[in-house]
Amino acid sequence: MNNKKSIFSRFYVVLCLAFFYLPILVTMIFSFNSSKSLTKLTGFSLRWYRELLNNVEVSKAVYVSVTIAILATVISTVLGTITAIGLSKSRKVVRELVLNVNNLPILNPDIVTAISLMLLFSSLGMRKGYWTMLLAHIAFCTPYVITSVYPKVRSLDPNLANAAMDLGATPLQAMTKVILPMIKEGVFAGALLAFTMSFDDFVISYFVSGNGVKNISIVVYNMTKRINPTINALSTIVIVVIILVLVLANVLPVLLAKTKKRNRRVERGITILVVAALTVGLIRWGHVANGSHVLKIYNAGEYIDLGLLEKFEQEFDCTVIYETFESNEMMYTKLASGEEYDILVPSDYMIERLIKEEYLQALNWNKIPNAKNLMEEVMNKSYDPGNRYGCPYFWGTVGILYDTTVVDPEDLKDGWELLRNEKYKGNLYMYDSERDSFMIALKALGYSMNTTDESEIQEAYEWLIQQRDSMEPIYAGDDVIDNMISGNKALAVVYSGDASYIISENPQLDYLTPDQGTNIWTDAMVITKDCSEVDLAHEFINFMMDEENALSNTIEVGYTSPIESAYDEMIHGDYEGISAYIPEIDNPKSEFFGYQEPKIKQKYAELWTKVKAK
Amino acid sequence: MKQYKHLIKPYVIWAVLLLVIPLFLIALYAFTEEGNEVLTLSFTLENFAKFAEATYLNVILKSFKLGIITTVICLVLGYPLAFMISRYSEKVQNILIMLVTIPMWINLLLRTYAWMNLLADNGIINHILEYLGIGSISMMYTDFSVILGLVCNFMPFMIIPIHTSLSKMDRSLIEAAYDLGANKIQTFCKVIWQLSIPGVLNGIMMVFLMAISSFVIPKLLGGGQYMLIGNLIESQFISVGNWNFGSAISLILAVVILIFMGLMKRMDKQEKQDD
Repeated sequence: MNNKKSIFSRFYVVLCLAFFYLPILVTMIFSFNSSKSLTKLTGFSLRWYRELLNNVEVSKAVYVSVTIAILATVISTVLGTITAIGLSKSRKVVRELVLNVNNLPILNPDIVTAISLMLLFSSLGMRKGYWTMLLAHIAFCTPYVITSVYPKVRSLDPNLANAAMDLGATPLQAMTKVILPMIKEGVFAGALLAFTMSFDDFVISYFVSGNGVKNISIVVYNMTKRINPTINALSTIVIVVIILVLVLANVLPVLLAKTKKRNRRVERGITILVVAALTVGLIRWGHVANGSHVLKIYNAGEYIDLGLLEKFEQEFDCTVIYETFESNEMMYTKLASGEEYDILVPSDYMIERLIKEEYLQALNWNKIPNAKNLMEEVMNKSYDPGNRYGCPYFWGTVGILYDTTVVDPEDLKDGWELLRNEKYKGNLYMYDSERDSFMIALKALGYSMNTTDESEIQEAYEWLIQQRDSMEPIYAGDDVIDNMISGNKALAVVYSGDASYIISENPQLDYLTPDQGTNIWTDAMVITKDCSEVDLAHEFINFMMDEENALSNTIEVGYTSPIESAYDEMIHGDYEGISAYIPEIDNPKSEFFGYQEPKIKQKYAELWTKVKAK
Repeated sequence: MKQYKHLIKPYVIWAVLLLVIPLFLIALYAFTEEGNEVLTLSFTLENFAKFAEATYLNVILKSFKLGIITTVICLVLGYPLAFMISRYSEKVQNILIMLVTIPMWINLLLRTYAWMNLLADNGIINHILEYLGIGSISMMYTDFSVILGLVCNFMPFMIIPIHTSLSKMDRSLIEAAYDLGANKIQTFCKVIWQLSIPGVLNGIMMVFLMAISSFVIPKLLGGGQYMLIGNLIESQFISVGNWNFGSAISLILAVVILIFMGLMKRMDKQEKQDD
């Protein structure tokens, strides 16, 4: 090869590697950033590493990821290796059949495997959690072990084992002393592959896990709402550990080769360490799961001051299993699929549905003395007359967040039609939620957002299609929060609570509640029918209604508190001048969402899919 | 070694329980009506009829288009890299391949978040562009950002199999080609490329499979309007709650993929026979 080419090839290799490492480098650099921003460096700090140490959710997830990966690797390697050995001695028909079935999870898209396993676990009525996740991981890892071990077994001389046995070895001895050492490489490769697949898996774990059991990927996925730099700190640690392990793996064999005896000792040492770690881990897990009092809470993502959960655990000597959902619909699907929770925090219309379908039990207000702290404005609404089932958690409206430096104040008069003003084409975020989007279109057209009239729904659908084609909006999820804080676009449809938080981070923005009316909403805590800890659940609701706790919750989340004192404290303190924190509820055109019949609901869902899938 | 024959028994039971029955369940859901009790199953083809609507067909077409584009880019960029790596000494090769592998160990979601911060309208790349006086470009929520994310995450799966088949290649074959008067291009087309085809096919299969069914990367980098098959399946199961339609889509996806894989395997076999 001539020199010129070699320079070019070197350059290309470096360029490609830079492409792979750029995102990782960014992650590492921003883990040392002193502010929460993920796009601007403000200074060096170890703040996120400290927070990582205190973050219970992340440390639990690390524990789940690591133990599942180790257990799945060990089990699938053993199972896969003996199967591969067995296969080489089986009849051709059997062999082909098993190998073809074995290929299914490798060839099938992850999402199909995930769904098939989810259907299996739910039709068997298995509680989703650690064990279902482990079973699923073994199920998709073993095929990879078999595919990497089997070719090695086939390339062996079939007479080897026979020879060993002729010389007096038992079949077991022949396997461990003769066959295994010769296929060692394949077994290691398979184990490594299994560990990687398991440790990094998101899709399958996401569908088969539940009951608060989350691996790192699921925790990261749930962080979309407010990306938390602690996760950058975590991945930096993971990267450093991996590099250390790889370096050790390359250096150790050289060192070990010097004396064989030491080799054995080290091997044994490592085995003992792994086994000890697992035992300790499993015992700890068992302990957590069997703790005397366990309260299972299902709330929207990033919707609580997590410190309060720890405080509650300490005060009441119990364990809180805390899970989060992305949308009310997602919560309902989980509930309908048989998952059990004690406390839910859904929105008004979903509470109405849950009441109708008898998922909830009535609250005993005598057990919630702190109810006296609640504001009158949030009580006794149409979704739950007399607050028999729900205790308000946060409340607010839906509106338009706009950049005061870009949007002309004159245009604000158009209300929702501002979202069709072509001046701002390509410069806006819609919210990826069918009910909220249809609410906007229906309100803009002057209809009720709870309409069941087919022609009105059709008109709203056309409004949304027209808006999509003329404005090219982005249907964002909760990433809108980070995007608006960085000032990426001029307009965004948001909940008032998110608006308050965003404005507190980026004062250039302001919040508009359109005159055509909007959605007034309340999220409330409810207790499920099959709640096993009714007293503790009431204690929790009471705890959250405590003035001090409510204040720290609203400070952390930014949503409007239904607790009088916390509300006052905010509008005169941290959030002074942020209008979004004070929901405008006097407009008679504004409504609460009502219960939708399944037929109508499906109609909306289908139309919304069509709006999004251009 | 007749005794060893029985060793496959545990796995056969396992595979039936956790691989075969679950797939059967998908088919069962796909062909039945919503809200069915096991005892009163009523079969229907409605879920498939629904899929024939233009919107849903567009979703599948878009997924295929994106899968193909991603695979082609990975091949065009990945092949030269694998080739160049295979020309280094064995020690350097091992290090380079390790460097290609390490990113796969870092959580895919984390890498995707990092891309979001890089590509955002007010993100790192645009800060740099503005600093250089070029002005900012809108990159997020486009085909570009989604394809970039897919390529960055899946290219190693193209590079590694190609590198494996290139490094296994007998060097003397190349020397023989030169000795027989072939020039570089001829040697590449007639010898190197031919011998690396198994690796290329493997890489294409892996990348295409992952690209076509991924739902997290399109969702994060493409926004809610970026609806691919994976997103459609996820939304049917997680938010819409129509498991039957979701199963029907999964079944169609699985069948299409298995046919595609079957074809690729057959090509692979023919290659081998031609040799």
